[in-house]
Amino acid sequence: MDTKMLQNSTLALTDHEVLPISTVLDAVRKLDNAGVDQCDPLIITQASSLSQLPVESSSLDIVISICRSLEFPCDKLLTEISRVLKPGGTVLIQKTSQSVTGIKDGETSLERKLLMAGFLEAQAIQLKPVVPSEGAQSFGIKAKKPSWKIGSSFSIKKAEKSLPKFQIDDDMDLIDEDSLLTEEDLKKPQLPVDGDCEVGSTRKACKNCTCGRAEEEEKVEKLGLTMDQLNNPQSACGNCGLGDAFRCGTCPYKGLPPFKLGEKVSLSGNFLVADI
Amino acid sequence: MNGREKQKQKLLILYASQTGNALDAAERIAREAERRGCPVTLLSIDCFNVGSLPYEENVIFVVSTTGQGDTPDSMKAFWKFLLQRNLNQRWLEGVHYAVFGLGDSGYQKYNFVAKKLDKRLLDLGAVAIVERGLGDDQHPSGYEGALDPWMSSLWNTLSKMNPKFFPNGIDFLIPDAQLIDSPKVQITYHDVDKVHSHFSTDSDLKCIEMQIERVRSMHPGKFSRDKNRPDCFLRMVENHSLTRAGYEKNVLHIEFEVLSSAIEYEVGDIVEVLPSQSPIAIDTFIQRCNLNPESFITVHPRGVENHLPNANINDSKIPIKLKTFVELTMDVASASPRRYFFEVMRFFATAEHEKERLQYFASPEGRDDLYQYNQRERRTVLEVLEDFPSVQMPFEWLVQLVPPLKKRAYSISSSQLAHPNQLHLTVNVTPWTTPFKRKRTGLCSKWLTGLDPQQGVIIPAWFIKGSLPAPPPSLPLILIGPGTGCAPFRGFVEERAIQSRSGSIAPILFFFGCWNEDNDFLYRDFWLSHSRNGGVLSEEKGGGFYAAFSRDQPQKVYVQHKMRENSRRIWNLLCEGASIYVAGSSTKMPSDVFSCFEEIVSKENGVPRESAVRWLRALERAGRYHVEAWS
Repeated sequence: MDTKMLQNSTLALTDHEVLPISTVLDAVRKLDNAGVDQCDPLIITQASSLSQLPVESSSLDIVISICRSLEFPCDKLLTEISRVLKPGGTVLIQKTSQSVTGIKDGETSLERKLLMAGFLEAQAIQLKPVVPSEGAQSFGIKAKKPSWKIGSSFSIKKAEKSLPKFQIDDDMDLIDEDSLLTEEDLKKPQLPVDGDCEVGSTRKACKNCTCGRAEEEEKVEKLGLTMDQLNNPQSACGNCGLGDAFRCGTCPYKGLPPFKLGEKVSLSGNFLVADI
Repeated sequence: MNGREKQKQKLLILYASQTGNALDAAERIAREAERRGCPVTLLSIDCFNVGSLPYEENVIFVVSTTGQGDTPDSMKAFWKFLLQRNLNQRWLEGVHYAVFGLGDSGYQKYNFVAKKLDKRLLDLGAVAIVERGLGDDQHPSGYEGALDPWMSSLWNTLSKMNPKFFPNGIDFLIPDAQLIDSPKVQITYHDVDKVHSHFSTDSDLKCIEMQIERVRSMHPGKFSRDKNRPDCFLRMVENHSLTRAGYEKNVLHIEFEVLSSAIEYEVGDIVEVLPSQSPIAIDTFIQRCNLNPESFITVHPRGVENHLPNANINDSKIPIKLKTFVELTMDVASASPRRYFFEVMRFFATAEHEKERLQYFASPEGRDDLYQYNQRERRTVLEVLEDFPSVQMPFEWLVQLVPPLKKRAYSISSSQLAHPNQLHLTVNVTPWTTPFKRKRTGLCSKWLTGLDPQQGVIIPAWFIKGSLPAPPPSLPLILIGPGTGCAPFRGFVEERAIQSRSGSIAPILFFFGCWNEDNDFLYRDFWLSHSRNGGVLSEEKGGGFYAAFSRDQPQKVYVQHKMRENSRRIWNLLCEGASIYVAGSSTKMPSDVFSCFEEIVSKENGVPRESAVRWLRALERAGRYHVEAWS
């Protein structure tokens, strides 16, 4: 279908089955009184499941959307609308709602949707409902497509001072290795969830703790053993005397050298462990 | 296209390892491939000619990312080559690859090396066999958490690509009993009588030097590429604490006499020392493993393929005492063994409950528990053997699997101009506490602490270049060195002070930080004396010395705060062409400091942060921003 590159070329989308031209013109009038007469809108009905528009990019001045469903237009369609609009073009979305609260929510969520899709200057407008019915209220939001194209440059208010240049000796022509990383790669990595189900397992001191945390932990629980346990060690599971390789995670004898049950546990006899 | 004969379907595995983890991972991948009948070539990436990469059909890359997001040293040349602009997008056409990265998600630049490598290979036309695997230190079982599933999908995809890789299917595994008979080394015992006596007890330095070289070369472990022969010997002449007595931190100032006339080093260089192991630990190990300390041995690789290409098996090896070999090459009371050690131990355990436990540790279910017990707790070989008393491993397996004794590196904290023939070190020997609440001191720390200058102890040492190039006297400097990071800068300041006597010098701004002014203000008098009376750090000479004491007040004050207070001065010096040097602990400090510079550049110029970042990156590329970070 050919699009006519007229001044004020307009597209109207609706999820209704039928849409009278007068309704469209009314809406256009709300936006721009002057050009209404030259307006020959392209109308697409039953557009709820539409995700692509058969229109060239940046060719339309105005897109009107008249709908009763809260979901319409969907995000994909909004992106399409943005595509087909000329820079600086306008979109008007008119919705009907059964309740007043519905309007407030509807307005806010629609404004948000429009902003997310890259439109600017979203404003609410009062409108008559398309199909007048009892209690039905209409609301409309108009917004503009930004008037600069993607990728164009523009000067910012504050003049950027340029940083001093200096000689870089690149002996070989090498690519910038940081360009090999993706956005995903550059994000701060998620630490794996600590699946440690042991009793008292909160963040423990590191294996070569030098910040003092381990000393603190040590002061709090000392050896956790009574004199009796040291003099006459017993073990219900039978593993405590075997050495750390066999002890359970919660064994009170953890960290001590192997011993024989019933015999006194030697603490610093082991030259391998520095005197505690 | 080339005259090379069609290679058997071999898998090439290239690893770039900084601390040995990537090497361990690569060896594991190699082992798992070989168990399934797939032949493998395993090489350190700096032993591979990058120009011939397009001719490879199937390559696996196992690469670590260091704390600052950089490639390991062994990968720098390879990576530079790959970044060339003139390589087109079809250069690696026909090459199939897979990348496994080792990193730590606690850092912003998590696995950057693996991610960039993966993308670059793709851009150059290579095809990925499987998606890149990213190992994470923060995972409950470390990098193995990611490695196991990644390998699984690798075998799957490889065998679908070409069934010849795994002629018996990927579920077939060569029976363990068969593998356990072939350790990678072979030990030959020699008749004591036939061995010349002068090799055993000579105390002449030259002989010791050669012995160290011989012994270290004989070990199959892939020590760093550089020399096994020490560059010089050092005699300790001074050793005292810089921190207040009884304080929880302990930092030593150690002075050595350099016993070699030909040695020249520059400020900013690094010295490596080989720590001595405790004689009791060595004896206990030898007894526990039923070895004869007095026997004379030579160690050979069994089979040649997967070993150092420049290892000379035709070297007539002079036998050495077993005890000496253990002392100089096998770390028995400090480093932790790897998972493979436990897998092999299982075969040599005779007690049923020990076999069961080792079986559990080797299984996917037990992998996390093993990590907690072993790696996180920093379990030593002796401790493991003590917990599994029924295990008797043959010496060949011990040589292969006991972690190799590594040299320890320290920044030199003196200038030869100020102290000719001497070398000073600043060493943090503070003990730490393990997750199981055991108090531990590092092997080298403990050894150095116990050395008394009165004993006239002599130790072997190696010199290497670090990341801090010695600055010419005319270069203005901005130095950030909290804690032991101040060590190399002590050398810088000493040197410049001497240079100022014979010519004009450029100013230095030095930012130091520690916990308490009274407890760990390292070299306090030194810094203060140079910041007065027209000294190199004095305001009169355009310099500055700023110290942040983080714990002297309720709110934390770090070097960054001092930097921000002086942002104008910093910026002015940068405009005069200053270079920035940052040294110290490798956790968050370097990136926090970089962030601070971003702020300063941005603020002093009224430019957005992004511009400041770009400018600082350009500064790095221009060789005016240097970081030396250690863990």
